[in-house]
Amino acid sequence: MSEAAAGAADHPLWGWAVESWTWGWANLDDPVGPLLGEHLLLSLASIAIGLAAAVPLGLLSVRYRFLYPPVLTGVNTLYAVPSLALFFLLLPYTAFSPWTAILPLALYTLAILVPNVVDGLTQVPDHVRQAAVAMGFGPLRRLLLVELPVALPVIIAGLRVASVATISMVSVASLVGLGGLGGLITDGFNRDFAAPVVVGIVLSVLLAFAADGGLVLLQRALTPWARRDARPGRRRRRAADRAARAATAPRPAGPQPEESP
Amino acid sequence: MITFEGVTKQYPDGTVAVDDLHLTVPTGNTTVLVGSSGSGKTTALRMINRMVEPTGGRITIDGQDVRGQDPPVLRRSIGYVIQQAGLFPHRTVADNIATVPRLLGWSKSRARTRAHELLELVGLEPEHARRYPHQLSGGQQQRVGVARALAADPPVLLMDEPFSAVDPVVRAGLQDELLRLQAELHKTIVFVTHDIDEAVKLGDSIAVLRPGGRLAQVATPERLLAEPADDFVESFVGYDRGVRRLSFFPARHLRLRTDVIVTADQTAGEAGALARRLGEPWLLVVDAGRRPLGWVSADALDAAEGRRRLDSLELVGYGHVFTVSTDSLRAALDAAVLSPAGRAVGVADDGTVRGAVAQTELGAAIWSVGGDDEPPARDRAAAAGGAHE
Repeated sequence: MSEAAAGAADHPLWGWAVESWTWGWANLDDPVGPLLGEHLLLSLASIAIGLAAAVPLGLLSVRYRFLYPPVLTGVNTLYAVPSLALFFLLLPYTAFSPWTAILPLALYTLAILVPNVVDGLTQVPDHVRQAAVAMGFGPLRRLLLVELPVALPVIIAGLRVASVATISMVSVASLVGLGGLGGLITDGFNRDFAAPVVVGIVLSVLLAFAADGGLVLLQRALTPWARRDARPGRRRRRAADRAARAATAPRPAGPQPEESP
Repeated sequence: MITFEGVTKQYPDGTVAVDDLHLTVPTGNTTVLVGSSGSGKTTALRMINRMVEPTGGRITIDGQDVRGQDPPVLRRSIGYVIQQAGLFPHRTVADNIATVPRLLGWSKSRARTRAHELLELVGLEPEHARRYPHQLSGGQQQRVGVARALAADPPVLLMDEPFSAVDPVVRAGLQDELLRLQAELHKTIVFVTHDIDEAVKLGDSIAVLRPGGRLAQVATPERLLAEPADDFVESFVGYDRGVRRLSFFPARHLRLRTDVIVTADQTAGEAGALARRLGEPWLLVVDAGRRPLGWVSADALDAAEGRRRLDSLELVGYGHVFTVSTDSLRAALDAAVLSPAGRAVGVADDGTVRGAVAQTELGAAIWSVGGDDEPPARDRAAAAGGAHE
């Protein structure tokens, strides 16, 4: 072994990594695995509830424009309330049930999701909406079959930001005993032991990556029409268009008159 | 038949978009509403399918007041083509076209079959069916828009500046396509545009609206160009209306000269003698199949060696030709103006030369169809027989 490699192996970071890996592996069944599951569950529940609330709020804000400024101020104000305070405020009502973590986290997602739902719906091109009316869609069908699907890419973009933010924020709930991987981090700090802290952080980041990647895949599956990447054949198609245009080139005169009587 | 009976649209702020409109749109015809922005033409159109509700008067389709039907149900029975196509970006071309059939409760397979029929009808390839709108050119999108409007075979078609967002070449192609479709389908079409040329090309009749939503004139295109009701209509149809009106006069009555035609195997000497005898500065050279090759000038013939065949000489291009049986005087005039020899070449349907006409002779023909006050050729017999001012 060369001196440089030996030096790297001696580096404190290397030591941490090995120690954390070993610790994490040894404690996979308890507590790492269950905490990871709890983290995932808390995040998913928060995001799902947030989305379920954000869509109707967004719809109302688009339908009744005057509602949007107060709604936006409301969700932003909620976002500004420190999470810790919200957890403790809820404790008397929800005790140490998962709701104590889920409710505040769901409220926080609103600050991201509501504006995205509103933006997604308002950027539906006017001619598309008009065409839907003119084709004979009633209001509900127009919303479900045209407006929401067209708004989907923007809504999913919001969902990606909200999910990453939520996954990182779940850890704070460990202060009320509900933090998923946050539990590893507080535990490590309490014991002045780095391994659980490192494992908690790394898994939390990986979970966020996975959620984001999952949403990207979901978007690709749900909105194949929004993919604008050039595909082979596109150039050929353009050439074909040009040819078609040339074929239908106009003649100089207007409509031809009928036979004179 | 669609009738507007004293239809008015006034907005709450007092703006009057359409003012006491009386108009009849005959069944199976194309009626064009034309006017500048603010003339209420789109508002008038949208009152037919109740996208805008009138504040006065009533609109009937075949005698039925449109207000008697639930708006979404009414709209499914009326085709609508919107500016920029308004295709649903999240649906494939086939699903876009199948929109109204699906709303009407057709089965998926029936709607799909219908979508493919329409794709063909509007001149798109079957492989377009599975594409998304953004993968099509503007002109193709507009064709899909027309196909979607026709999907449930509605008797009435509303078209709101459908071709204004595409380039002029594509637009002309789409207009020709619409004329072809209409000749086949005989829909009752109400077409809105701000482009008088488009109105003249497509309309069986044209309604000119003036700002404030008042009707200025309703007339056939040729009548509108010949006799604008007032200064507003006259300025709207344009001061070159005289030339444009030539579109309504056939070129087949032109006197075509055949004596100026020489064949490629004749010699410069023979042709030169002919030119001198006729006193013509230009002769038209054709090949053995009587297809045009080009013009040769009398000067070039004089300068050339007498024994040379004409096809060995340098000929002047013959430019545009016009088809004698189907083209209009305007096409003939255009061909003459653009020809380097100042003469237009008239051809038969198979492309063989029927004869040539010089600008001066064309001028006489144009003069004979008259100044602005004379009715077009097709009405001339009636006018000669009687009391036409």
